[in-house]
Amino acid sequence: MKVLVVEDEQELAESIADYMQKEGYICERTATFWEADERIFLYKYDCVIVDLTLPDGDGLQLIQHLKQLAATTGVIIISARNALEDRLRGLEIGSDDYLTKPFHLSELNARVKSLLRRRQFGGHTEIRFEGITVVPQSRTVFVQGQLTTLSRKEYDLLLYFLSNLNIALTKASIAEHLWGDNIDSADSLDMVYSHIKNLRRKLVDRGAGDYIQSIYGIGYKFGLP
Amino acid sequence: MKLLTQTNRIYFGFSLVIYLLTAVAFYQIVRLLIYDDVESRLKVEKRDFESYVRSHHSWSSSPYFVENKIEVTRVTSSSRPGREEFTDTLIQDRYTSELVPFRQLTFYEPIRGDLYRVAIRKSLIQSYRLIEGISLTMAVFLGLLLASMFWFQGKLSERIWRPFYATLVRIKAFDLSRSDSLHLTPSPITEFNELNQVLQKMADQMQLDYRNLKEFTENASHEMQTPLALINAKVEQLIQSEQLTTAQTQWIDTIYQASRRMSRLNQGLLLLAKIENRQFVNSQPIDLTDELILRLKDMDEVLLHKQISTNILPGDAFWARLPPLLADSLLTNLLSNAIRHNQPGGRIEVRSSAYYLQLKNTGPAPTVEPEALFKRFKKGSSSNETVGLGLAIVKQICDTYQLTISYQYEEGMHTLSLAEG
Repeated sequence: MKVLVVEDEQELAESIADYMQKEGYICERTATFWEADERIFLYKYDCVIVDLTLPDGDGLQLIQHLKQLAATTGVIIISARNALEDRLRGLEIGSDDYLTKPFHLSELNARVKSLLRRRQFGGHTEIRFEGITVVPQSRTVFVQGQLTTLSRKEYDLLLYFLSNLNIALTKASIAEHLWGDNIDSADSLDMVYSHIKNLRRKLVDRGAGDYIQSIYGIGYKFGLP
Repeated sequence: MKLLTQTNRIYFGFSLVIYLLTAVAFYQIVRLLIYDDVESRLKVEKRDFESYVRSHHSWSSSPYFVENKIEVTRVTSSSRPGREEFTDTLIQDRYTSELVPFRQLTFYEPIRGDLYRVAIRKSLIQSYRLIEGISLTMAVFLGLLLASMFWFQGKLSERIWRPFYATLVRIKAFDLSRSDSLHLTPSPITEFNELNQVLQKMADQMQLDYRNLKEFTENASHEMQTPLALINAKVEQLIQSEQLTTAQTQWIDTIYQASRRMSRLNQGLLLLAKIENRQFVNSQPIDLTDELILRLKDMDEVLLHKQISTNILPGDAFWARLPPLLADSLLTNLLSNAIRHNQPGGRIEVRSSAYYLQLKNTGPAPTVEPEALFKRFKKGSSSNETVGLGLAIVKQICDTYQLTISYQYEEGMHTLSLAEG
C-alpha cells in the first residue's frame, strides 16, 4: 500500500511516515504543493494525507487535482483549523476524512486503515488476528468461530486495537477515539478502563488469549504477549 | 431633540424677541412723534392766546376756540402759580357721552391783573387711530416677514443638512464584519466632505484591523497547534520503546498531559477571541431547552458511570438567537460543569420556561466566590484536566448574544440560570 504525506512541517511528516512504515505501508512525503502536485500526476497512491496550509498553495486545490486524476485514491485532511466551513468544504471536494491537529498518530493510522478497507475491497475485508475475526461490514466479531456480542464501544475499541497492533496506545488516544473531544477527559479515562476490562473478559471467556497489556502510567497495547 | 427642530426653535425664539422689541420700539417712536406734533400745535395755540390777551386785554369765549378746547379759570391768590405742563386727560363727549382722550397744556397767565389758569386741549382720538393703524400695519408686515423667514430658513436648513443625514444613514447601516466599504457621497459643503473623509478613513481602518485580527487569531492557532502535534507524535513514538523505566514513563506522561492541556487552552482562548470579535455570523433562533436535553441524552454513558440521575421538569421551551456552533459550545460547557461538580448518586435537573433555562446539579459548595466564577482560569476543582475557561466561554457567548447567566448555590444545589437580557 502506498501512502503520500503532504505536510510542510518536516518533523511531523517524518513521524507520520515512520509510523506508516512500521505498519507496513510504503510512505512518501513532500513538503510543498508543487512537489505534491507533480507526484500525484506521476504516481498512483492508495491514500494521500494532506495538510491544508502549505506554503506555496492550497491543500484543497491539491485534493481537487487528485480527484480529477485518480478518483479512487483515499484522501485524509490534516489541519490545525477546526472550522466547520473547512470540514464541509473538504467533504464537498471529495476528501474522506478530516483530522484536527494535534491528533494521535494511532488515530490517524486507524482512519487510514478504515479508509483503505472501504475503498479497496468495498469494505468486504475481514480482519484476523489469532483467534479473532472481525467483519467490519456487519460489525460482527467471531472468537474461535463463535459469534461474540460486544457493545458498540467495545467493538470500536477492538477495531482500534486491531488497527494498531503491538503499538503502545495512550489512554487519551483511546478515549478520544471512542468519544471524540466532547467528553470531559477525567470521566472518559475512567470509562476507558471499564470498557477495556469488559472487552478483555469477553475475549478471554470465548477462548482468545489475553492480548491487552496495560502499560503502567501511559496506556495499553494489544498484541501477542 | 432633532437638529432642525433645535435650529428652528432658536431661530423662532430669537425672531420673536426681535419682533417684540421692534414692535415696542416702533410703537413708542410713533407715539412720541405724534405727541410731539400735538404738543407743538398746543404751544402755537398758547402763543395765540397770549397775543390775543395782550392785544385785547381780556378774554371771552370766542367761537374761534371749539368746545372743551380751552378752559380759563381764575386762580385764587392762595394757590401758587404752577409751571407750564403737558398732561393727558379724559373728557366726556357731549354727544356720545364717551370719554375722549385729550392732550392738555396747562399754563398761568395774568389777565387784567388777575392770575388765570389756562388749559388748552387737543383731541387725541385721531392720533390714536393713526398710531393704531400704523402699528397694526407694521405688526402685520413684521409678522409676515417673520413667518416667511422662518419657513425659508427651515427649508434651507433641511436642504443644507441633507448630506449629513445621508451620511448618518450610511454609518448606521455599516457592518464591520461584512467587507463592503462605507461609501459616502461627496458633497459641495467643505465641512461635510471633511466629515465624510474622516469617517471613511476610520471605517476603512476598522475593517482592516478587524480582518487582521481575524487572520491573526486563525494563524496563531495554526502556529500553536503544529508544534503541539509534533510533541504528541514524538511522545507516541517514545512510548513504543521497550526500554523505558517506570520513572521515565511517568515523565513522558507528564509531558504528554501538559501538551494536551496546552492544546485545550489554545482552543479555548481562540474561541473566546473569535466570539468577542463576532466572527460567528450565522445567528439563528435555537430551542435551547431541546438541545440541552439532547446533549443530556448523549451523556447517558457518563451519567450512568457516575451514578448521576437526571430529571427534566415539564415547561415551555426557551428560545434564543445565536449561531448553532456557539449554542453547542454554551450547552456542552454548562453540562460538563454540572457533571464535573457533582457527586456520586447525585442528580441533574433541567427546568425551563419561555423566559429562562435552568440547569441544577447536586454537589459540594463552590470554592470560588460566585462573582469570580465566570472569569477566565477560575476553577472550582484543582484538577489538571480542566483549563478553567468553560464558564468564561459561556459568559462571553451570553454577553455577545444578549443573554444573561447567573449562578446560585443553595442547600446543596448549584443552579445556573440562562435568561433573556
